[in-house]
Amino acid sequence: MAKDIEISTSEAKFLVEALKQNQRLDGRGFDELRDVKIELGRDYGDVTVSMGKTRVHCRISCEITQPYEDRPFEGLFFISTEISPMAGPQFENGNNTGEDEIMCARIIEKAVRRSGALDVEGLCIVAGSKCWAVRADVHFLNCDGGFIDASCIAVMTGLLHFKKPDISVSGEQITVHSIEEREPVPLGVLHIPICVSFSFFNPEDTEENIKGDSNNEIAIIDATLKEELLRDGTLTVTLNKNREVVQVSKAGGLPMDALMLMDCCHKAYKITETLTEQILSKLKEDSEGRNKYAAMLSSENNRQM
Amino acid sequence: MGSLIIPGDELHINKDSSVIQGPGVYCEPKSQRFIPVNAGIEMITDSKKGQTVYVDFNSRRYVPALGDLVVGTISGSFSDSYRVSLANFSTPVTLSYMAFPNASKKNRPTLKVGDLVYARVSNAEKELEAEIECLDSTTGKDVGYGLLDGGFVVDISLAYARELLFNSEFPLLHIIAKYTQFEVAIGVNGKVWIKCDDAKSTLACYRSIVECQSTPVGEYKRLIAANFKEITNAME
Amino acid sequence: MSRLEVYSPEGLRLDGRRWNELRRFQCSINTHANAADGSSYLEQGNNKIITLISGPQEPKLRSQMNVNRATLAITVNITKFSKMERSKSSHKNERRVLEMQTSLARTFEKNVMLHLYPRTSIDVQVHVLQQDGGLMGSLINGITLALIDAGIAMYDYISGVTVGLYDTTPLLDLNSLEENAMSSVTLGVVGKSEKLSLLLVEDKVPLDRLESVLAIGIAGSHRIRELMDEELRKHGKKRLQNASS
Repeated sequence: MAKDIEISTSEAKFLVEALKQNQRLDGRGFDELRDVKIELGRDYGDVTVSMGKTRVHCRISCEITQPYEDRPFEGLFFISTEISPMAGPQFENGNNTGEDEIMCARIIEKAVRRSGALDVEGLCIVAGSKCWAVRADVHFLNCDGGFIDASCIAVMTGLLHFKKPDISVSGEQITVHSIEEREPVPLGVLHIPICVSFSFFNPEDTEENIKGDSNNEIAIIDATLKEELLRDGTLTVTLNKNREVVQVSKAGGLPMDALMLMDCCHKAYKITETLTEQILSKLKEDSEGRNKYAAMLSSENNRQM
Repeated sequence: MGSLIIPGDELHINKDSSVIQGPGVYCEPKSQRFIPVNAGIEMITDSKKGQTVYVDFNSRRYVPALGDLVVGTISGSFSDSYRVSLANFSTPVTLSYMAFPNASKKNRPTLKVGDLVYARVSNAEKELEAEIECLDSTTGKDVGYGLLDGGFVVDISLAYARELLFNSEFPLLHIIAKYTQFEVAIGVNGKVWIKCDDAKSTLACYRSIVECQSTPVGEYKRLIAANFKEITNAME
Repeated sequence: MSRLEVYSPEGLRLDGRRWNELRRFQCSINTHANAADGSSYLEQGNNKIITLISGPQEPKLRSQMNVNRATLAITVNITKFSKMERSKSSHKNERRVLEMQTSLARTFEKNVMLHLYPRTSIDVQVHVLQQDGGLMGSLINGITLALIDAGIAMYDYISGVTVGLYDTTPLLDLNSLEENAMSSVTLGVVGKSEKLSLLLVEDKVPLDRLESVLAIGIAGSHRIRELMDEELRKHGKKRLQNASS
């Protein structure tokens, strides 16, 4: 059995005490995200995202298979999120039935796959017999809280960055052209969901929280591992740039006022905007780096303007 | 300050004098030769009796050794002892109910699960579960061990903890002392308990200790000043 | 497949309800007095759910024991025959079910006064005999009733309901046809307050519409709370009469 991280009562008390005085351990504000760093690998669809000490790597790959019988016009898309002991000694190999691990996997699944972020119909090659299967493998390299947020960014950046090899179809015959032979094709990404996690702390007694009129609960964004271990409740909001709530998950925990939750959603939207911007600019930078001479080769000139 | 030494190197000891060996040094039984077995800084001190030699090395996991001062968290209680965790994911140690000052069969200590204690390792046989105690076992008197109430715990590397505890000239705590009053308990298991009068000062201490771990000593003054200024506005 | 008219221009839904109407809600408690310490049977539309609670009792494994409070374990058993088509596999270890269990346990952990029952375990078993959308809400209601029947101390009712958003109209208490056709929001509301213990949003809801959806959801949950309360008081009165006569 994997052991839990033990935290003494003094530490728990102190953390809440500091929060009451508007202080977090690492000096961030309550609504402040850790710096998100996105690194793109040499291959398409190879992304590493780090937020503080948390590091998540995502690799997108694809292969040709048969579509499901009941959905002949759709390709396949899998996300695998297995947390290995590489992330920290509290995780165990091949045993992903821990509550938090399941919640993490389900939320990513809902945010990215079920929300239709990837256009699966575009993955169809020959209806009913051949389609692309896209696979996102998320590897958790180091755990310091915020796995859900980081892996969502990693998967989405990966999907946007990834390019599948070009193919040509003649009847049932399919030719796959290697990347050197023909320019690979990007995937159809319909929207970019971004997860933002809030952690709630209760500065008062439980009775006060449920029965009292006060709404003094403290909500912080992007908790570190220590904060995650001590929190009373959590809320993960997934939004996209089009002001759509893709998914919200507040699975129990501290009861919160509906208005306060709405407030969290609005805060999350602001973060979504900046993160989307960051992802897109990073991708642009990468594609410019790959095509250094594109501008030179372009036939566009001043006269045509 | 000694020089860097790696397993396979020769120890720079005088072969004629008698040698007192410390951690990181192994005496080959056949040839009676001393060889270093850990990578670290070679420390040799000469005294009247002979040479003391050990290797000061940093390791991630704490292994209890006799006489170590440690900060632990009570993780369970049994009929005659507590189970204390000294580090996450390592074997717990025992703290007997009798290992407290003025303890008797009737007078039981009142620690709860989750409390922090400062204690001394009293038994560290590698075949047995290690034991710790909260009193000076030779005199049976209270010497400052026991419950650590309130405050906060900083997790640091083992070498840094040893430096804090044994090197009385190490500037960190001296500099912090200029800004605020504090109580501190340093455990060589990589845990430092610190408590100030108010939460903000404690927080400033916490950040200073954490950040100084990865900063050169010369920068300490500036870094600690910045931390205190930001949180408490306290001046030197 | 022809598109069903989920919400007609006249303001009627597939089963003839209006947008703000709940489904038929029937419940009874103490249905399995012999088998469990607390039990309830709940019908919410076509959802039929039996909840059994045993505890507070000694935990089966010593490792499950917590010296400070009771451990709350919830198992959800979705029967193979609960849907129109019999499912081939049992749903036991599906991630979806495990997620439900975790969410339910975390919801009730904060509401049940677990610290009053140290060193014990409270086991909740939920059997879904028939399901027709909005399952999570019905499970919450069933467990609340059974916990009250078991006489386990809790702060307040938690009542749950699912609300959908069809275009711009929120629809209260979805059945499965509606649930498949639109995005849904599940709430778990604490007592008469506006505090949400559970909130799950699935599929896209415009951010600016969320507030109105939550408002109707909270109102619906309060109504369900009243219905449960009514039934409980009726039951209590009956028991009192039996005891006095």
